[in-house]
This record gives sequence, structure tokens and C-alpha cells, in this order.
Amino acid sequence: MIATASQITNASSARSRRLRAVAGNQFVGATVLAVLVVLAWEVVSGLTFVIPSPVDTFTVLLANLSDPAYLFDLRVTAQSVLMAFVIGTAIGGGIGLLLGLSRRLRLIFEPLIIVLNGLPKIVLYPVLLPIFTLSGSKVVMGLLFALFPVLINVSTGVQEIPQVYWRLARSVRANAWQTLVHIIFPAIRRPLLTGIRLAVSLAVVGVVLSEFFATRRGLGRVVLQAYSHGDYPSMVATIMLLITISFGISIALWQWEKRIH
Amino acid sequence: MTASVKFLADTDDPPLETMSPHRGTPDALSRRRRFGMLTLSAASTVGLLLLFTVLAEIGSRAGWWAERVLPAPSVILGALGTLVTEPQFWLDAQRTGVEIVVSIVFGSLLGFLAGLLFWKIPLIGRVFEPYLVSFYAVPLVLFYPVMIVWVGINAMSVIILATIMAAIPMALNTAVGLNQMPPVYLKLARSLRASPRQTLFAIAIPAAAPFIVAGLRLAVVYALIGTIAMEFTTAQAGLGYRIRYLYEIFNNIDMFAYVVVVLLVSCVLTAALAVVERVLLRGRRA
Repeated sequence: MIATASQITNASSARSRRLRAVAGNQFVGATVLAVLVVLAWEVVSGLTFVIPSPVDTFTVLLANLSDPAYLFDLRVTAQSVLMAFVIGTAIGGGIGLLLGLSRRLRLIFEPLIIVLNGLPKIVLYPVLLPIFTLSGSKVVMGLLFALFPVLINVSTGVQEIPQVYWRLARSVRANAWQTLVHIIFPAIRRPLLTGIRLAVSLAVVGVVLSEFFATRRGLGRVVLQAYSHGDYPSMVATIMLLITISFGISIALWQWEKRIH
Repeated sequence: MTASVKFLADTDDPPLETMSPHRGTPDALSRRRRFGMLTLSAASTVGLLLLFTVLAEIGSRAGWWAERVLPAPSVILGALGTLVTEPQFWLDAQRTGVEIVVSIVFGSLLGFLAGLLFWKIPLIGRVFEPYLVSFYAVPLVLFYPVMIVWVGINAMSVIILATIMAAIPMALNTAVGLNQMPPVYLKLARSLRASPRQTLFAIAIPAAAPFIVAGLRLAVVYALIGTIAMEFTTAQAGLGYRIRYLYEIFNNIDMFAYVVVVLLVSCVLTAALAVVERVLLRGRRA
């Protein structure tokens, strides 16, 4: 009798717990928020003619995506972002590793790096243009954007590796390469992933902002052209495409980052 | 202190001191040492900047690169000298300054309140977290064309986006700072019967202060970066806009002078923030 009573309370409490879990689930909550935002967008687009409605935007996006010229622009931007991200992460990771390992280098270069990180780097774009030409400059700009989060996170991560790890490396006589691959990388994987996550979206922003300024092909140019022609649905559709892609990558990396503890 | 820990670590002893080396005890020695490190950092930074300037001067004088790639620093400084006497420059600087200051003030207030809300009502915090985390850096700048279509091509559209960009790191840091507060602190507040206001101002905010100050620093940096980037994209006034305009009319020297101004402003802001951080957190990281 007592057992059944407790079972009943258990069952009901389990159900309420499950309900609460569903309501409190981050994914569900975030999706509800996204739906609310789209509804608000719909309402606002009804009030003013300059904002296209979500449905219009989506239709234009589908039409754009079947247009070969648009796909070419998309590919140009994607290639530039990928190159900027890969090179930026490699350089940032390398410098970050050196700074994290050497206290003296850190003392010399750290203030300068903090200052450089705070600069609005986009103003350097006209300076880059004569050096790296039109198609190279946006890669360099994306690289400059992507470099610093990786650099700073790797440097901090390496500094925070516990002393024991270094002693372990010494006691098993690991050489420099083995220490790097088997000790340093696993120890800093979390800050490294944080840096990479920020680097991806910053590379997108760096490249697209450069394309806003001056370029031959690319989605940034499509946005600005649509803006100057007053073709607002196409403009909003392209911006939403860019935002959604960088948002998706960022969220995926963030989930991964949370999983490795 | 550090030396002794290092010495201990060098000997192959059982894990007696696996706990993190206790940094602290501001005795005279470590203070003098820290002062020495600070001067080394400052001197090397100034030295590196000077070295770069001298190299640029020599390079452009000797014709290692074309004048349009990078004019000699002395030429840029000369242009800068005439620039600061022109009213046009001060109009642009004022516009940019107002945009940055307004977005820093509103952004950090908004972010702080949002962070408090996320801490008080964890459900809201969890719902907003993915969005804040992925808009953390700068992708919001991409919304700028939408904003100018909607609000108009004026200071308002820049301020709105820069405010949001400044608010996000502030909100995230405030929430993290408050959430990592040890539960004992709140128990103490309860046992002392502190009012909610006392709990907030005397316990919660001081406990989260390092995180809040770090958030403030990011807020300032992002407000600056966002404002300049948006002006640079399209605007009708402001330092960022002027750089673009001068580029388009091929006035290279003046453009470089404006670039130098923007770089100087952000250096000064960064340095000022470092000082503010030091003052606000005095005696905490001893």
C-alpha cells in the first residue's frame, strides 16, 4: 500500500519533472524565442514597407540560391572566409603557443597585443588594398579579425597548464613534438575551441565587411548592391543567410565545447 | 615566492604542492619585481612602436615601397598637424565620440541589467545564452544595412547597433560573475538579514566585480570597433566615414592621418581601461 502510494507520487513527480525539463530545455526555449522574433519581424514588416516580410525574404533567398551568379558570389566569400580562418588560426595558435610558453616574450609583447586586439582593424583595409590587391586584401582582413581570439585563448590556456603536466612530460622524456601533441593540445582543448569558435564568426565578419568596402565578387558586394538599388528583400535575405550560417557553426562549436569538460 | 615554488617543482618530490602556486603576499620584494616587469613591458611596447615608425620612415624615404602604400610617418604627422586645426576634423571626431560614449553608457547599463535578470531568473538566461554567445563578437555589424534602411542613415542607427554590441559581453560577464559566486555568500546575507538591496550592492556586485569589470572592458572595445566599422561601411559623417571618403578621392596622406587618429584613440582607450581596471580592483588580486 505504502509502496503504491510512493509509486504514484513518484510517477506524478516524474511527469512534472519531465514537463519542467521540457520547458527549461535550452533548445526548446531558444527555438520559442526564435519563433517570437520571426513573428515580431512579420508584424514590423506589415507596419513599414522598407522591411520585407519573412515569407518574401525566404522566397527571394530560394530564388537567389538557384541563380548561378549568386552561387558564384557565395563560393567566393566562402573560400575567402575559409582561407582567412585557417591561416588566422594557424598563425594565432603559433604565436599564442610561443607567448604562453615564454614568460619573457609575454612581458615584451603582451601590451602591444592587447592594444592591437582593441583596434578597429577595418580602418586598415584601404592600407592593405595596394599591398594585397582586391581579392587578397579581404582574406588578410578576415585573417586579422580571426587571429586574436585564437592567440589570446591559446596563450592563456598554455599558461594555465598545471605544473604536474610539465613534470610528467619530463619524467617520460617526451620530446618537444610529443609534449605538444600529447600534453599541450589535450590540456588546452577547451580554450582552443573557444578561440576557434570566435575566429570562425570573426573571419566571416572581416571578409564581408571588406566586401562592403570594395571588391569584385562576394556576398558583401551583393548586399551593398541590393541596398543601393533599393532591393531590400534580396539585401535582407543575403544578410540572414550570412548570419544563419555563422550562427549555426558557432552554436555547433559551442555545444562541442560544452561537452568536453 | 615564485622562485621557491619553481625550485620545489624542479625536485622530483611526491605531489605535495600540486595545489596551484599561491600567488600573493604583497611583500616588498614581489612588489619591486612586479614594478620591474611593468617597466619592462612598457619600455618594450614603446620601443617596438618606435622601431616600427623608424623603419617605416627609412623605408619610404629609401623608396622600398611606393608612396601610396605607406607614406613616411613624418609626412603623416605633418598632415595630422594641419588636420587638427580644421573644423571638419573636429565635427567628425565629435560625431564619432558621441556615438561611442552613448553606446558605451547605454550598452553597459543595459548589459548589466540583463546580466542581473539572467542571474535572478535562470530560465531566461538559458534561453538567451545561445544567441548571446554566438553574437558575442561582431556579427551584429552585418545587420547595419538593415538598420539604415529602417532607422535612416544617421547617428541613431550606429548607436543602436553599437549599444547592443557593447551590451552582450557585459550581460554575459555579469551573469557568469554572479553565477560563480560561492553559495556561502548568499547564506551569509540571509543570516545577517540583509535586505535584497543590501544583498545586491554589498555582496553580489562586489563578489562579481572582476567579471563585471572585464565585461566593461570588452563593452568599450566592441562599442569602438562597431562604431568605426559601421561608419566605415556607409555613413555621412564620422572618423570611419572620412577615411573611406578620403580613400575614394585618392587623398592618401590625409587618409593615413585619419587612420593614425583612430589607432591613437583606441590605444588611449585601452590604456585608460587598464588603469580603470587596476583602480576598481585594487587590493583584490594582491
